[in-house]
Amino acid sequence: MLFSSIPFLYYFLPAVVISYFLVSWLVEMIGKKLGLGQEKSHRASIFTKNLTLLLFSLVFYGWGEPVYLFLMIGSILMFWLCGLAIGKAQSQGLKRLWLTVSVVVSLALLAVFKYADFFVENFNALTGLSVPLLKLALPIGISFYTFQCLSYTIDVYRGNAQSQKDIVAFGAYVSLFPQLIAGPIVRYVDVARELKDREHNWERVHLGLRRFVIGMSKKIILADNFALLMSIFRDSSEQSVLFYWMYAIAFLFNIYFDFSGYSDMAIGLGKLFGFNFIENFNYPYMSKSVAEFWRRWHMSLGSWFRDYVYIPLGGNRVSKGRWLFNTLVVWMLTGMWHGASWNFILWGLLYAVCLLIEKWVPAIQKLPAFFRHFYTMLVVTLGFVLFNADTMAQVGTDFAGLFGFGGLPVASTATWYYLRSYGALFLMGIIGATPLVRDTANRLYESKKLGPAVAVAETVLLIVLLLVCTGYLVDGSFSPFLYFRF
Amino acid sequence: MNKKISAVGIGLLVALWVTLTAAAWFGPAEEYSGAERRKLAQAPELSVQSLLAENKYNRDGSIKEKLSYMTLFEDYSLDQFPMRDGFRQIKALFHYNVMRQKDNNDIYIVGDQAAKMLYPLNETMVKGNLSVFDYIQKNYLLKNQCKSFMAVVPDKGFHLAKNNGYLSLDYDRMFSLVQEGMPWATHIDLTQSLEIADYYATDTHWRQECILPAAQTISQALGVTPPQQADFTQEQVSDRFYGVYYGQAALPMNPEPMYLLRSDLLEGCRVFDVQTKSYTPVYDMEKLSGKDPYDVFLSGAKAVLRIENPNAATKKNLIVIRDSFGSSMVPLLVQDYATVTVVDLRYVDYRMLEQFVSFRGAQVLFLFNTQVLNTTPLMG
Repeated sequence: MLFSSIPFLYYFLPAVVISYFLVSWLVEMIGKKLGLGQEKSHRASIFTKNLTLLLFSLVFYGWGEPVYLFLMIGSILMFWLCGLAIGKAQSQGLKRLWLTVSVVVSLALLAVFKYADFFVENFNALTGLSVPLLKLALPIGISFYTFQCLSYTIDVYRGNAQSQKDIVAFGAYVSLFPQLIAGPIVRYVDVARELKDREHNWERVHLGLRRFVIGMSKKIILADNFALLMSIFRDSSEQSVLFYWMYAIAFLFNIYFDFSGYSDMAIGLGKLFGFNFIENFNYPYMSKSVAEFWRRWHMSLGSWFRDYVYIPLGGNRVSKGRWLFNTLVVWMLTGMWHGASWNFILWGLLYAVCLLIEKWVPAIQKLPAFFRHFYTMLVVTLGFVLFNADTMAQVGTDFAGLFGFGGLPVASTATWYYLRSYGALFLMGIIGATPLVRDTANRLYESKKLGPAVAVAETVLLIVLLLVCTGYLVDGSFSPFLYFRF
Repeated sequence: MNKKISAVGIGLLVALWVTLTAAAWFGPAEEYSGAERRKLAQAPELSVQSLLAENKYNRDGSIKEKLSYMTLFEDYSLDQFPMRDGFRQIKALFHYNVMRQKDNNDIYIVGDQAAKMLYPLNETMVKGNLSVFDYIQKNYLLKNQCKSFMAVVPDKGFHLAKNNGYLSLDYDRMFSLVQEGMPWATHIDLTQSLEIADYYATDTHWRQECILPAAQTISQALGVTPPQQADFTQEQVSDRFYGVYYGQAALPMNPEPMYLLRSDLLEGCRVFDVQTKSYTPVYDMEKLSGKDPYDVFLSGAKAVLRIENPNAATKKNLIVIRDSFGSSMVPLLVQDYATVTVVDLRYVDYRMLEQFVSFRGAQVLFLFNTQVLNTTPLMG
């Protein structure tokens, strides 16, 4: 189920909100009436909240892939047991054994469901054999929840987190629907306290709903319209160099507003249910270096690889050769995390190369800000063309189109038409990718004179955005979601 | 102060959300969407079987048959959403006015005229359809010594697109493809007999009361008496006609009047539906209250009709192989013909035409709109 869908917005979400608050309130009231005392009643209420979230999250997951519910429940059980075993183990060896079990099983699941066919295809290509493909459907969100679970057992092993004894709380953490299928990758340590106790108030509802509606608008109004232009480009028989660049820039904005919109929705829903999820994006297209871009883009994934792969490998406090190896491994894995395909691996390695160049050629950092920004955005844009290609052959075609090889005209009638038609969208994309609107709104909100007017305008805007997004959904708009496949 | 205003504002947002949710959960289900001219999805049956059912897929990954409860529920939730047409209108207005998009769902508006952006020219489709006509020529017309004519009806984009910056077919290429594909037919140019005002503002079709010049052009080519304005009485049969683009555009547009051209000669004609073996009127007034009022002309989509004209001046027979544009044109052409057989290749297999149509010595008019030639396979 997508957040940006009528079943989610007007059926699932209201049902879960009503159940969550009503049932937990009833349990607390009954507890008090039965004389259980304030604390016990409160604990019972939290347990009910976690149970409600767990059950609804399983429904949410099962809605798209009922057959993979067993995988989700199995993962919850396996990681919960491993966490308990690591927590209880007296010796370091035993702890390491249980950690190894959790890592091996989770990587095996990823290998089977996500990477098996990729390996078999390449094996067949190399050996000339015809080992049959598994052709398994990719369980939704497997990369996200597997990484979350891994962070749990590793943190318990390292002593950074205590093992969770309550399987309902742990199950709620793993399956928590706001971030289940598209992140952010929330580490257990970041929400452990909130699984035990969390606060709800009107201000959190305000912040949560505002964030959710803004994220939904980024997804539906901006990302989906960019996706529509990309689809038109792919179907067009009148391609041109300019049209290729429009496609590349459309995808640049599409993936940002799609993914950051979804993260906003997840963070907003988290606030609604009393959780504080980490931020996942910080205006990445403002970056003036590739290194800065990755400090601003999909931050939860970047920090995950840093803390659980790069630093354990030795990070940069090693020999030059070893550091080079560490960098290449981490970025190859980052690419592979996004998909079992060579274009993703190359995409990851492209960033490795750029980061190495930035490190080894300090003169780049001394260039004027405009050039650094331009170079970064060029790398990112071309990187996403590589990222979004279905096949390596298409990578070649796309790059040839972008740079005018293959006899394409500079522009065509269709190109000019779509440039005129989508011009306003591109402008909104450029403005929306900067902190301009946020900073201006915050400044005005704080002003004594204009603050109340901005508060009223915010309400009107949120209501209009909800109506417009609903209109787009009802009209059956084009609404694919990119990060599903990861 | 600001926080209080924001808190109240969020209260309003929640109230709106709750209201829409309640309407979605408890509102009555509609059977049919007049604006979109289609049946609306109903609530699927909830059972273990439907929950576990999987959709059937085509090779390209698109859904071939929806069987899963979840998919059916999604369709239901979209179709039965409260104030559905109002929300579609909000989207369309936002799309045009805020996003500054030039079209909405490929429909664009110029003045009061809505048109579909027909682009690009699908040469494969056009050639495929021309090969069907060629089959008809080789297998029926040649041996029956039929004289053939081809008239292409330009879609609204022909009149609107270029001057207003919209994409359209390459009409020169389309017309030359048709000429090259039908060298055995006499080609009738209708482009000079039509202008944009001859089409309904909210529909794809032409207005019967405006196409006498086109009918005269065709009649002259066929060698029969051209119909005159004086031969007909114009009757208004509706003042609230909303065409197919009205629903697709989802924008506020005014309804239009619909007129029929009546004559004593037409009153004397009988229309035999070869498929149902029953007689129907030339103008089927019951269709005016149906899903598409344009079906008032020759009862809309019909495979093979035979119009019998007992008051014809000659014993000539005409066969019109046509699309829906023919429905309103054919009544203007019957004057000199004892019979006019009307064939719609979308509903009858062209390889079986001889079972239903007698070609012997008849004149054959192919009358097709550019949109059908470009987008619809005429495979019966």
